[in-house]
Amino acid sequence: MDGYVVWITGLPGSGKTALARELEPLLKERGQRCEILDGNEVRELISSELGFTAEDRKLHNQRVIHIAKLLARNGVGVIVSLISPYRETRAGARKELPNFVEVWTKCSLEVCEARDKKGLYKKARTGEISDLTGIQHPYQEPQQPEVVVDTEKESPLEGAKKVLKKLEKLGLIGAYSNSEEQAVKKRLEDLGYLG
Amino acid sequence: MAKVFVLGLDGVPHSFIERSVEKGILPHFRELLGEGSFRRMYSVIPTVSSVAWSTYMTGKNPGKHGIYGFIDRQPGSYEMYIPLATHMRGHTLWEILSQEGKSVVVINVPVTYPPRTVRGILISGFLATKIDKATYPKEVAAQLHRFGYRIDVDPWNARQGKMDDFVADLNTTLTKRFETAFYYMEKEDWDFFQLHVMETDRINHFLWDVTDHQEAFLAYYTKIDAYLGELRSKIDSDTTLIVLSDHGFCGIESEIDLNFWLSVNDYLLFRNPEGDSLNNIDRKSRAYSLPPGRLYVNDQPTGEEIRDKLLSLTDPETGRKIIKNVFRREELYEGEMAKIGPDLVAVPYDGFDLKASFQQKRSMAGRTPIVGMHTYDDAFIYIRQKDITREGPGIVDVMPTILALMDVPTPLDLDGSSCI
Repeated sequence: MDGYVVWITGLPGSGKTALARELEPLLKERGQRCEILDGNEVRELISSELGFTAEDRKLHNQRVIHIAKLLARNGVGVIVSLISPYRETRAGARKELPNFVEVWTKCSLEVCEARDKKGLYKKARTGEISDLTGIQHPYQEPQQPEVVVDTEKESPLEGAKKVLKKLEKLGLIGAYSNSEEQAVKKRLEDLGYLG
Repeated sequence: MAKVFVLGLDGVPHSFIERSVEKGILPHFRELLGEGSFRRMYSVIPTVSSVAWSTYMTGKNPGKHGIYGFIDRQPGSYEMYIPLATHMRGHTLWEILSQEGKSVVVINVPVTYPPRTVRGILISGFLATKIDKATYPKEVAAQLHRFGYRIDVDPWNARQGKMDDFVADLNTTLTKRFETAFYYMEKEDWDFFQLHVMETDRINHFLWDVTDHQEAFLAYYTKIDAYLGELRSKIDSDTTLIVLSDHGFCGIESEIDLNFWLSVNDYLLFRNPEGDSLNNIDRKSRAYSLPPGRLYVNDQPTGEEIRDKLLSLTDPETGRKIIKNVFRREELYEGEMAKIGPDLVAVPYDGFDLKASFQQKRSMAGRTPIVGMHTYDDAFIYIRQKDITREGPGIVDVMPTILALMDVPTPLDLDGSSCI
């Protein structure tokens, strides 16, 4: 049975990684096999020779799509956290990947810049880097993502629960955590409905 | 505008209402009977609440909605799953009403967990585990906490013989349920309201015809009757009241383990005598069962052989025949989900509760603390101020009936038809 791919897209500093990190333990608690493919980490491993031109970004995204595909077709739930600024790339991912769930960490550029945890915006403003998405590079907002997490208002945990609920509604994960499922089975057994 | 209020009383038999009204135990019910029509109704096969209410809320046979029991197997594997609202195909009654711009309040109907979106409020019933995850919209949960609302009673008390605790739990849960319903009846501007009482099924399972606890049993039904009276006084003349159950009940003479029978007849092999899951089935097995009476077989000739043998199966103690009928899948189910249904379904005579253990048992027949079992043809439906024109309605006919009452077009793919 195919897994699924939660594709988290958004501006730098919009909260993609934080969302992925909250989501992973929630899925594991449900007995889900899952992996995070974080854009930054994966880039160092598989795309270290690439830069941040439009072509290089597309190529890097293609590689991530390929890994996600290998995992998802073996039943793994994949959480991809990647700026993935182009609609075309995301549409390609949707086409290629099974059970694709697009999640947009929506956040204004001003707030992302004010957060600036990695100092990237500062570097872009001072000209130290010349290819930051949102400043020098375009970010094409999703038009119909499955989930929008407004990270100016919602915490990473609230966002993760929202994604979890969407996965439940789409039938991609069960509605119970492991402990809940045990409790439900016990209840069914007590009522003589199990065997 | 035509409004409808539905009160579901899980597993309350038509014959029980008739008997109790005659004895004067249910005075409010008696008054209602004088104001509307009351019929015996048939349920679904297999006769289980999850299947019956799924058929009720979708207006479709299991071959279309895909719910066949409280547990099911992943097709093509030996993995089990618990069918929930996420597995149910098709739109529910309240989803269709919502699409038509009607406002709904739905409380505690089985197989509505996790809650799906409606125009109004939905509080999931059996098998929701936590109030915080059981409501749409989620803000409703806070109110339920304030009420001390309970999703379900704990049958473990009854299993352990702590009947006083069990009965206290039943009563509190019922009180909270009706208080919550009365609150939302007042507060919300609804066109359709459904309140489901699950506890009637529970009390019937554990106290049906139990002489020691007859008083508590009758007191419980009297309490429901009193709530029915209160409900009647709160409903205006523009609102049609429907009261129904999803199946009947009778006493258990013996629990019959079909997997034991299949194993002694060499159709089923267990891998490990200690194991107790579907995965414990040896892959060389030719057939297995899931409760109640669902049979999955490797090939048709084996199925026919099993069918013939089951039809002549008798109780080793009394010699009484156990199986009334064995239906083939195509005789019962039609639709795109028919393929995941059981190959055969055995329907027992009243008194024989069909079980299916995955543990190697020592005998086919046995007893547990459960004293009552479901029956197929003794559910009921009551509609106030309307004539049920058809004899022998089924639970599948209720949804089109409600749509007709509310003047909402009936989808073409429903399996029943209006009985008014």
